[in-house]
Amino acid sequence: MSEARIEVDGLRKRFGQTLALDGLSFTVAPGTVTGFVGPNGAGKSTTMRVILGLDSIEEGTALIGGRPYARLTHPMRHVGSLLDASALQPSRSGRNHLLWIAHSQRLPVSRVDEVAELVGLGKAARRKAGGYSLGMRQRLGIAAAMLGDPPILIMDEPFNGMDPEGIIWMRGFLRGLAAEGRAVLVSSHLLGELPDVADHVVVIGRGRVLADATIEELTAGASSLEDAYLRLTSGAVEYRSGTDGEQRR
Amino acid sequence: MSSLVEPSRSGGFRGALLSEWTKFRTVRGWMIGVVLAALMVVLFTFLQANGMHTGYCTTPNPSSCVTGHQYVPTGPAGDAVADTYELVAKRLTGDGTITARITSLAGRIWAGPANEAPSLSDTRPGLTSWAKAGLLITPSTKQGSSYAAVMATGSHGVRLQYDYTHDRAGLPGSISSTAPRWLRLTRTGDTITGSDSSDGTNWRRIDSAHLARLPTTVYVGLFATSPTTSEGSATQAMASFDHIAIDSVANGAGQAAPGAWHATSIGTGPQDYYTRLGNGSYRQARDSIVVTGSGDIAPAVASAGGDTASDSLLFGLVVALIVLIVIGTMFITSEYRRSLIRTTFAATPDRGRVLAAKAVVIGGVAFAVGAVAAAVAIPLGEHVMSANGNYIFPADSLTVARVIVGSGALVALTAVAVLGIGTILRRSAGAILVGVVVFVLPTFTGPGIIGPTSSGGAAMWLYRVTPAAGFSMLGLLPRSGLVSYPYTMANGYYPLPPWAGLLVLGAYAAAALFAARVVLRRRDA
Amino acid sequence: MSDALRAEWTKLRTIAGTWWLMVGAVAVTVAASAGIAASTHVSPGGSGGASGAGQDPTKLSLIGVDLGQAVVAVLAVLAVTEEYGAGMIRVTLAAIPRRGVMLGAKAVNIAGLALVTGAPAVAGCLIAGRLLLPEAGLGPAHGYALLSIAHGPTLRAAFGSVLYLGLIALLSLGIGTVFRDPAVSAGIVLGLLYLPPLLAQLLSGPWRRHIQQIAPMTAGLAIQATRNIRSLPISPWAGLGVLAAWAAGMLLVGLAVLKARDA
Repeated sequence: MSEARIEVDGLRKRFGQTLALDGLSFTVAPGTVTGFVGPNGAGKSTTMRVILGLDSIEEGTALIGGRPYARLTHPMRHVGSLLDASALQPSRSGRNHLLWIAHSQRLPVSRVDEVAELVGLGKAARRKAGGYSLGMRQRLGIAAAMLGDPPILIMDEPFNGMDPEGIIWMRGFLRGLAAEGRAVLVSSHLLGELPDVADHVVVIGRGRVLADATIEELTAGASSLEDAYLRLTSGAVEYRSGTDGEQRR
Repeated sequence: MSSLVEPSRSGGFRGALLSEWTKFRTVRGWMIGVVLAALMVVLFTFLQANGMHTGYCTTPNPSSCVTGHQYVPTGPAGDAVADTYELVAKRLTGDGTITARITSLAGRIWAGPANEAPSLSDTRPGLTSWAKAGLLITPSTKQGSSYAAVMATGSHGVRLQYDYTHDRAGLPGSISSTAPRWLRLTRTGDTITGSDSSDGTNWRRIDSAHLARLPTTVYVGLFATSPTTSEGSATQAMASFDHIAIDSVANGAGQAAPGAWHATSIGTGPQDYYTRLGNGSYRQARDSIVVTGSGDIAPAVASAGGDTASDSLLFGLVVALIVLIVIGTMFITSEYRRSLIRTTFAATPDRGRVLAAKAVVIGGVAFAVGAVAAAVAIPLGEHVMSANGNYIFPADSLTVARVIVGSGALVALTAVAVLGIGTILRRSAGAILVGVVVFVLPTFTGPGIIGPTSSGGAAMWLYRVTPAAGFSMLGLLPRSGLVSYPYTMANGYYPLPPWAGLLVLGAYAAAALFAARVVLRRRDA
Repeated sequence: MSDALRAEWTKLRTIAGTWWLMVGAVAVTVAASAGIAASTHVSPGGSGGASGAGQDPTKLSLIGVDLGQAVVAVLAVLAVTEEYGAGMIRVTLAAIPRRGVMLGAKAVNIAGLALVTGAPAVAGCLIAGRLLLPEAGLGPAHGYALLSIAHGPTLRAAFGSVLYLGLIALLSLGIGTVFRDPAVSAGIVLGLLYLPPLLAQLLSGPWRRHIQQIAPMTAGLAIQATRNIRSLPISPWAGLGVLAAWAAGMLLVGLAVLKARDA
């Protein structure tokens, strides 16, 4: 298995006039959960799509264990990903959703039931995915990401729509993944969750890396992670409510 | 950390294929749609065939009308043929030769209204191009019998023809008293050799015909016939012969065959389909014989009034086409609608491979729908049409197989093309709009469906250059260079040969897929 | 209701696709009419179907509507089905909770757009016919008057064709509301429009006539006839009435489904 590492170097991408990514570079190391935070429109989802070869880039490289995603054979055995849990055919059952992915990666059918069990989907796996709650869709998305037993995982807002029990489960699950030596990149708006989950945090704003440090380093000079975040991103948000925006000028 | 099976380089496409097939079969709506499409083809074929009835009248009096079709003879090769002519013959036992000089060939053409039964009361002089008169050998005077004949024609010179479809040119030019033609047929066993000459001394062999299992005793004699013009008017031909000699080897060289001339009008009963002008006759004066006849000895064309096995299939196929256009579109656009496409590309980053896998799956499914439905519908339609009194042009099993494969290919190529369009547009409604307008509507111009268009020429072009050309695969009506007949859409003939038509449709599908591949590579998912 | 109208209008006009489809509908309609008119050649004199006697120059010049209606139908289908794609419908119904009002507002807007599309399209068809048909053997030299809306039946055909497009839009909106999926809805609308005329062509006798009397396209397009009205399967206004009944019926079914089902 290739070395479990995501290396992002000098990404630059434009959407029309707006510069979405502006020389973005960071690394996600094996055995760590890296939190990926930033204001809306900072480029988190775009970065993740670029890593997965979904969006093209003008400059820079995004490598998985030294290779671009599109060059991987059976890529989901290298990188598991969850971008949008609603990305489902509503009339197809959860289990069949996992089945087609398994076929594309040449994985045994038994693996489908394993991961469905792993994420606690249970009997719901045989129901139409259109009827799932958001939390169940997240679990199905995570099951899809875990199908190929990948050394690297990329998840966009995995806590979205989860009930408290689900959040606790997710926390333990992510920590467990890192403990097994996997590299995990997790974006989240729930800053409160990060200290319990992540070892490392990459903060981005306006397509640039604002901070790339451990939780301890980041919170060293601030009262809390939230406080550190707000300070870092104050120049990098497109809008801010109320008087805050005026204070910026 | 556990490691699953090591990834293998080969088989990447098989994985993508299996994956796309799983996606397709696990959406119940699509599977139901596909089965429904096939059932619709069969159902509509039945309904359409059920609505096709044939009857004919033997006289202008309505009380003479009966259900059922007029008699269309079947030739030795199993094809539908026209076999209506006037024969003046003797019996010849064993090998022998018949020789005659033809000194004139003239004709008359019906000049009355098209909807009236032709008669000699209103004609103008004129000889149609395939008017035929000459010498003929046949084992039987039954219609559809094997034969060989050497003949003068209206404007195709002297010809040797046998068994309806075989033809070889002899001396060119038309017949007149100053330019008569000498004709000769020689029988040696199963072989009949035709020769011609302009002076009766210098003979030239045209060709030989092999008539299988020719009996010892055959009819040899003079014949005349004259087919309907390409405008549809009945005609009559009159030919004068002299220097007539039948030499029988059995009776010794130079000995004429005994017996009197006997005239037979073949295929002229009220139930026979070929439209004639007047009745055949012959007149003998000293050394010459004048034979008058109307009809044709040639392959039958659509004017025989028949249907083909695929005639009732058309509407059902169009219905299936629309269903498959919808499913083919959704197969890709539903992934964009739900952002599922990102999961797909995460699983198989080679986008060309994803597109190819999707094309193979939807193409395969569509082919199965078209082919299976046609395989069931064609015999069903044929049976129902026959039961309703329709004549069905005979088609050999290879030709029927071509229509079945063609129906599958027609639906498959359309579905694949629409998959390409859906990939480019990413929107269902737009792709279906383009799919229906480009792949279905041109077919509607067939026989004047889109409205009062009087320009059959436009429909002819649409069936050449638009995807409607693919429907040429359904064409089963026989065509022949030996019949001057308008092979137009209005008469049921597609302008392109079957496989050429399919190639046109294939080009559209290939172009759509190619464009989709280019767009897919360049665009963010 | 006026707020709902305004909201739906804003929704429609702020999608570039709406304008593209409208321009496309006009272009396709006029181009198809001009193309058919240019490729028509009617032989003078003679009798039978292919020659001049049976021709209706007005109907012939409006033939592009047969094609343009497909674009209008898709425009209307999209107006409702697009909302179900990304869950927009929940936002819409949160804003306009009375579902009848919501559908009514959509119907008024989409019918309006169809009429606005239809007027220039039909005008373009008639101009193309006036310019091109004399060349095809359907001009004053062959006993046919130049196309003009001063001629009563031609005015009826032109006005009726615009109304026809409006009714097609409403029919499509109703079907889109029932089926919610753009692909399924567009397939059903186009099938409902184009299959019956083809079926009628392949049948004979009374069945053919009955299908032409009740199918939305064949009945509705009777409004385009200006000659031999007596031999039509259905009279012009009655035909448009049949289409109106289809549109009203589908809208009612759509409303029932909208009320009965969760968004």
